[in-house]
Amino acid sequence: MTTETTRPTRPSLDDPRVAIPGSSSWYEPAPTPQTERQAEFLNLRDGEMFINMGPQHPSTHGVLRIIVKVNGEQVIDLDPVLGYLHRGVEKLCENADYHQAICYTDPLEYVSSLFCEAAPVAAFEKLMDVEVPRRAQYIRVLTMELNRIASHTLFQGWMALDLGGLTPILWSFIERDEIVDMLAALTGQKLLYNYYRIGGVNGDLNHEFMSRLGAWMSRAAKHIDSNLGLMNENELFVRRTRDLGTLDAATALRMGVTGPNLRASGVPFDLRRDRPYLVYPELEFDVPTRTEGDALARYLVRIEEIKQSIRIIDQVLHEMPDGPVMAKLPRLIRPRPGRAFGAVEGPRGVYGVYAISDGTDQPFRMRIHDPSFVHLQLVGPLTRGNLIADTMAVMASLDPVMGGVDK
Amino acid sequence: MAMSDEKNAAKALIAPVAAKNTLWTTDNPRAYGGVPLEEHPNLELARYEATGDGRVDDARWGGALAAIPTKADVVLDLIRANSLWPLLSGLACCAIEMMSTATSKNDIDRWGAFPFRASPRQADVLIVAGTLTTKMAEPLIRLWEQMPEPKWVVAMGDCTCSGGRYKRSYSVVQGIDRVMPVDVYIPGCPPRPEGLIYGMMKLQQLVKDRRGHWAQRAIGPTVPEGI
Repeated sequence: MTTETTRPTRPSLDDPRVAIPGSSSWYEPAPTPQTERQAEFLNLRDGEMFINMGPQHPSTHGVLRIIVKVNGEQVIDLDPVLGYLHRGVEKLCENADYHQAICYTDPLEYVSSLFCEAAPVAAFEKLMDVEVPRRAQYIRVLTMELNRIASHTLFQGWMALDLGGLTPILWSFIERDEIVDMLAALTGQKLLYNYYRIGGVNGDLNHEFMSRLGAWMSRAAKHIDSNLGLMNENELFVRRTRDLGTLDAATALRMGVTGPNLRASGVPFDLRRDRPYLVYPELEFDVPTRTEGDALARYLVRIEEIKQSIRIIDQVLHEMPDGPVMAKLPRLIRPRPGRAFGAVEGPRGVYGVYAISDGTDQPFRMRIHDPSFVHLQLVGPLTRGNLIADTMAVMASLDPVMGGVDK
Repeated sequence: MAMSDEKNAAKALIAPVAAKNTLWTTDNPRAYGGVPLEEHPNLELARYEATGDGRVDDARWGGALAAIPTKADVVLDLIRANSLWPLLSGLACCAIEMMSTATSKNDIDRWGAFPFRASPRQADVLIVAGTLTTKMAEPLIRLWEQMPEPKWVVAMGDCTCSGGRYKRSYSVVQGIDRVMPVDVYIPGCPPRPEGLIYGMMKLQQLVKDRRGHWAQRAIGPTVPEGI
């Protein structure tokens, strides 16, 4: 018997033993289709291929993975993969008391967090049947409209960024930073304010906030108009977004679209006017609507909303009454058993919270309805047949925020 | 002499009990799921793992400049510290503040050191901005592995430092130092842009001082001394 040892030949990459454990899931084979839709998506016809986009991508507005089926430069189909920012907010809210639940819903849509607070607060106030002082209502309207402007200016910058323009985001962040800083002077916290309380707001308006707001209001309209000139008069931008991702009113209503995306399709539905809450019935404002339903219309509706928000803030500052900012409530809140739905009109659509109380100090169930999740399902239908580069333009015009999508 | 014995006895008493780690020095190559060198499917990889032969330390100069390691390294670190390129990767809320750091008001480009890159191949620093969920952990580790060495990680925000307000969540990684080594922790929910700028300046100092350097650094929760 020879004791000659043979050196093993170098294994090829096709050898299954070479697979490195732990890193295989990224390259997992295509799954076996479970549904008819999935079978259709996974079936590659001649000349088609899959391209993976994300979850880390500069223009997916967060951590979203999109599997795009392309034929050359043309998008045939697309499948978003969600859940990369799922933080379990609804479950956390069920294990927190009513005051703490507001803090958990705060970072859902982190560019418009005051609306994410306002929806659960409205639901809890209905559960408690508590009357909010008028000054607190005015302060809520004031801060929400400021947050709407901050969110829409960010949208403007992001949309330009996704289309390849860097300058507008530098301009829009000037306005956004000023608004966020003045809200930080009011609430003590940047970005995630945690300002609304059940039955009022946490603290009255202070001097720094008012002086910064006054200085900003005197130049806001002029600055925002000059920002608009960068994009509205840019022929490249207008020609690229016109007739891109057209959404008709019937489809929009069927898909449950709300907010500016719905109004851009010609349906003048605004919760502030049609289901009034807080002091909105007493304020005068228009609901900007367009009929085209394309990406440009969605952009222009949001720009008009900025102007309407400035108008609302102007009225609120003139009509704000004196008085308390907090209703008298026990420190530990135990609503009677029951159900309540609170909704507000946010910068992306209707934020809603459906809360069920079982009589304890914690909500039994909190269902959070977020408009971003609804709007994300439009990305597929609207981008079919367009070019790859237009996928992000359509998505930017729908303006979803992944924190709200994944909750 | 008796005094010395007593001293030795006292020393022996307070000396820690050192149990020899047989886990990594076992004679049985099949222990703990291993294979003998001859049967390893990738022989070259196995030899490399066992001996470290052929390892190229690309954080240092090679060739002739390796003869003057200290001076060259000082210069190299100075260059590195003043051109730290972060990866443009935002996960959640903190990403907005990170963008605010890069734009007009808190223009971090004033330092000339932080142009955000969209590709991990061109990045030196991974700023983990926002909540890291268990589903996102694997892609993020993959991003970090794609970055060329030397590389640094900045944990921005409470969620990435410790779990933050999602401490009790079932789907959130409770601190990114559970999955990758971290150089600078920036607390706050979210940290202000000034906080991120301060953290990046701390990172520059750390690079210049050669503290927390990747080659000497253990994987796991590590806080560099003196920070």
